[in-house]
Amino acid sequence: MNYDCMVIGGGLAALTCAIKCASEGLRTGIISYGMSALHFSSGSLDLYGYNPDRKIVSRPYEGIEELVKLNTRHPYALCGNDIIREAMEFFRGAVAKGGLELYHNDGSNHFHVSTMGTVKPTYFSQPSVFNETAKEAFEKRPKIALLAFTGYRDFYPELAAVNLRKSTLFRNLEVITGEVTLPIRTSKNPHEFRSIDIARIFDSERYLKNIAAQIMNASQGADFAGLPAFIGINNYQKIHQRLQELAGILIYEVPTLPPSILGMRVDNALKSRFAALGGEFVAGDRVVGGEIAEGVLNHVHTENHGTTRIRAKYFVLATGSFFSGGLVSGFNDIREPVFNLKLFRDNERNRWYSPRFLDTKGHPFLQYGVETDDNLNPITENGETVKNLFCAGALLARYNPVAEGCGGGVAVSTGYAAAKKIIRNLRGGAA
Amino acid sequence: MKTIETGAIIIGGGATGCGTFRDLTLRGVETVLIEQSDISSGTTGRNHGLLHSGARYAVNDLESAKECIAENRVLKIIARHCVEDTGGLFITLPEDDPDYHNRLIEHCKYAGIPCEEIKTREALKLEPNLNPNILAALRVPDGTIDPFRLCSANILDATERGAKVLTHTAVESMIIDGGAVRGVRCRDAASGEQIEVRGEVVINASGVWGQRLCSMAGIELLMFPSKGSMVIIDYRINNVVVNRCRVPSDGDIIVPGDTVSIIGTTSRKIDYSDIERLEVDDDEIDVLISDGEKLIPNVSKARILRAYCGVRPLVAVSGNVDGREISRGIVLVDHETRDGVGGFITIAGGKLMTYRLMAEWTADLAAKKLGVKKKCSTASTALPGSETRPRKPKIRRFTGIAKSVVGSTFYRHGSRVSSILERKKKNYGLVCECEMVTAGEVYYALRKLNVKNIVDLRRRTRIGMGPCQGELCSYRAAGLFAEFGAATPQKANRLLIDFLEERWKGIKPILWGDGLREMEFTYWIYQGLFGLGDIADDGEDEK
Repeated sequence: MNYDCMVIGGGLAALTCAIKCASEGLRTGIISYGMSALHFSSGSLDLYGYNPDRKIVSRPYEGIEELVKLNTRHPYALCGNDIIREAMEFFRGAVAKGGLELYHNDGSNHFHVSTMGTVKPTYFSQPSVFNETAKEAFEKRPKIALLAFTGYRDFYPELAAVNLRKSTLFRNLEVITGEVTLPIRTSKNPHEFRSIDIARIFDSERYLKNIAAQIMNASQGADFAGLPAFIGINNYQKIHQRLQELAGILIYEVPTLPPSILGMRVDNALKSRFAALGGEFVAGDRVVGGEIAEGVLNHVHTENHGTTRIRAKYFVLATGSFFSGGLVSGFNDIREPVFNLKLFRDNERNRWYSPRFLDTKGHPFLQYGVETDDNLNPITENGETVKNLFCAGALLARYNPVAEGCGGGVAVSTGYAAAKKIIRNLRGGAA
Repeated sequence: MKTIETGAIIIGGGATGCGTFRDLTLRGVETVLIEQSDISSGTTGRNHGLLHSGARYAVNDLESAKECIAENRVLKIIARHCVEDTGGLFITLPEDDPDYHNRLIEHCKYAGIPCEEIKTREALKLEPNLNPNILAALRVPDGTIDPFRLCSANILDATERGAKVLTHTAVESMIIDGGAVRGVRCRDAASGEQIEVRGEVVINASGVWGQRLCSMAGIELLMFPSKGSMVIIDYRINNVVVNRCRVPSDGDIIVPGDTVSIIGTTSRKIDYSDIERLEVDDDEIDVLISDGEKLIPNVSKARILRAYCGVRPLVAVSGNVDGREISRGIVLVDHETRDGVGGFITIAGGKLMTYRLMAEWTADLAAKKLGVKKKCSTASTALPGSETRPRKPKIRRFTGIAKSVVGSTFYRHGSRVSSILERKKKNYGLVCECEMVTAGEVYYALRKLNVKNIVDLRRRTRIGMGPCQGELCSYRAAGLFAEFGAATPQKANRLLIDFLEERWKGIKPILWGDGLREMEFTYWIYQGLFGLGDIADDGEDEK
C-alpha cells in the first residue's frame, strides 16, 4: 500500500486534511479507530469564542491576532490568520459539497443555545440552529418556546429556560416551555429512547403532521420553538423545512447530550465528501507504530494488519486528545502512544487538574499534547524532527479548546495547514 | 420558629443513629432524628462495606470478634437485602509471618467464628483472580454490607411507623434546663428556618462530631480521629472477600460490593480541626494499589474509579488526653452519672458491624430514662425490603422492562421492588445505564427516602456510582428533580453543579488512564457543551 498522504485519525482535523489532499488529486487514505469526537460535539464549529479574561469574542479573527501575541506557541500562531480564514472557507465548502449547509455571520461569531440554556459563541452552525431569519426575528423581541418530548430524558427545557431568561440576549423575552408526545408507543422499549432513535423516526417522515400539530399547540403562539436536536439525520434539511411549514412556526434545534445528531450530520457530510473525492477510509483499525529513520517516517503498521507496512510520502497524526486515545496517561506519566513524540505536559499528577471540576479556565491537562516545530512537524524522544509527519487537531499542545472556545477551529485550521504543507512539498518536488 | 415536641431526640444519621431511631420507634417511643448532612454521609458511608465475620479482630480484640460474629448472623437475616453472603478468605503470602495463620485459627475458635483451613488450590478455585503464590488460605464467613441501604432501611422502617427525620439540619445549641438537656435548637440548611426540638432524652450518636455536641452541653469528651482511605476498582475483580493473613495493617483487604471492588484501608491520625476537610493523599493511593496488587495481581491492570476516606472516631473515655484510655470498642456514656447532666447520652466508638448492638444498648438506657418497659426487637424484626426470603422476583410481573433492571432494583431495595417498578410504564425509562436506575426508582427515592439533592439520591440508588461517575445521569437526575417537583428548575441547576463537584473530589486523586479519559469527556459535556461552569460562576456572583 503506497499513498501520497496517509492520515491517522478520523475526526475533524483528519477529515479536513484528507479532503484537502484528495481534492488536490493526492492519493489519500485515512485509518480511523472508533467514533470521532464529532459524535459528542455541539455540531457547530467554534473558531474562537472567549478571550483570556473569559469575555465573549464577537470578531474571532481580531481576537486570534491578540491571542497569539500572548501565546506564541498556540496552534493558531503556527497556522497564521490567512491560513485560518482559508481553512474556514474550505471547510464550509467541503461540508456543503457533502450535502450540509452551514450558516456563517460574515466573519463574526453568532450564538447557539445549549441544553442548559447558556448562550455560546460559535462560527458555523447548521441553519436549524441559527440562520438569517433568526437574526432578523430576534430584533422583533420574539416569544420563545422550549419543547420537551415525553419520555426523552436528555433534555429538560425548564432547566434551560431559567438560564436563558438570565442571559443578556434573551433577558426581556418571554420564554415558555411545553411538551410534545411522539405518536409511537414509547413504552414499548423506553431504554432505547435516545436522540438517535428519535432522529430515525423523524427520518421516516411518517408522523410529521401529528408532531407539527403538537408543536403548534405546545408553543402557545410563540415565534420560535426550540427542540432537542434530533429532527432527522440524512434527510434533515427537508424535514426541518416541512415541519416549519406544517407547524407554522420557526423551529430551532438545541444540541443535546451525546449522541449528537448535529455532529453526526457534519461527520456524514465530511465522510461522503472524502469518499466522493476517491479517498480511502479504513475504519476500525488502529495505527500502533511505525519506522522513523533519519527524520523520516517510512511506514506505519496497524493492529489488524500485523506486519504489513503501510507506506506514504507524507503522514498526518490527528488522533485526538486523551479521550480519543491520541494521548495516554499512566499513574505518573503522559505519552503519545504511536511514535512516543515529544510532549508538552507535567509529570506530577497532582498538577494535571484544577481543584474545581467546573473551572471555566479549564484543567491543565487539556493543554497537554504534542509539541511541534513551526511547521507542525513533531520531534521524537531522540530529539529528531520528523519531516514527513505532521500533527493536527486535539493532539496538539498549548491551547485550551473549551475555555477558549476554539476546539473545532484549531482542528480545521491545523488539518488544513498540514494539507497545504504536504501539497506544497509534493508540488515543489520535496520529500 | 418551629417547635417539635417528642420523646427522644437522636443526633446523627449514621448507622448507630439510624439503628437507635428504629429501635426506639419499635419500642413505641416517639422519636426525632436530626442529621446535619444526609443519612449515612459520614463515617458510616465511608468504609469498605465489609460484613465482618470477626476474624479480623480475633487475634487482637476477642470481645469485638465475638460481637461481630453474633451480629453477622443477625444481619444476614434482618438486613438480607443489604448483605451479600460472599464468604471470605484469609491468605498468607510468601513474605508474611506463617505463624499468624495458626494464631488466627486458634483465636477464631475462642471467638466461635467458623474458620476452615483450605488448600491453596481450592482457594484459587473459589477466587480465581487471587495471587497464585499464596502459601495458605483460611475460609471465614465474611460478607459485604451496603451501609447506605442499611441506614435507609432503618430510617424507612421508623418513618413508616410515624417517627420523624430531619436531614440537612444542623444542631446549633442545646436546650439546658435545671441541669438537664431538654432538647436542641437546629437549623434547616435549605430553608434557613430554625427549629426547636424538645424531648426528654437527647442521644448524641454523631460519631466524631460528638465532641462538639458534648461541648454544647458543657461536657468534655475527647475524640481522636483517625483517617482511613480506600480506592474503588471499576470492576468486581473478586467475588469473595480477600483478607491478608497478617497483623492488621494498610492495604490488607479487597471487598467486592455491587458492581465494584474496594481496596482498604489506611490509618492515619489527623487533627480534630481537620475532620471536615478530609482528602486522600497520593501516597495512600500508592500503598493501597501496591498492596492490593499482592492480593489480586489484576489490580494493576484495572481502572481505579475513585478514592475516598472516612474518619474513625476513637474516644477517650475518662476525659484524659494522654490517649491511653482510648477505646476502640463500644462506648456508651450516660452523662447523668459521668457529668451530672441529665437527659443526655453519648454513643460512640464501635463499628458499622455492631451498629444494631450499639443501638440496642443505647435504646435500653434511653428507655430506662423514659420509663419504657418494652424490650428491644431489632434482632428479630426484618428491615423493610428484607421481610421475605431472597428469591428471584417474579419477573413476569414486570412486563416491558429488562430483566437486568428488575434484578438491579431488587438487589437494591429487596422486596420493595414491587412498589418501585409497578408504576407508570413511562417511569421504566433508564436514567443511569451503569447502575440500571430507572425514573421510577428516582421517583420512589424522592417520595419515600428523604432525598434532598442528587448526592443523597446517589446513596439511595447508586446513581452516578458506576464507571461513568455521573456523566449522563447527573443531568437526567437534575431534570427529574424538577419534573417530580422536588426542586425548582433554578435549584435543579444548582444540584447538578454540586453533584458534579462532589464526584470530582473522589476522582481527582486517581485522575489517570481511563479515569482521565472519562473526565475529559465529562468536562467536555458539562462545560464545553453546556457551559455549566458559567452558570456556577453566575450563581456565586449572585450570592
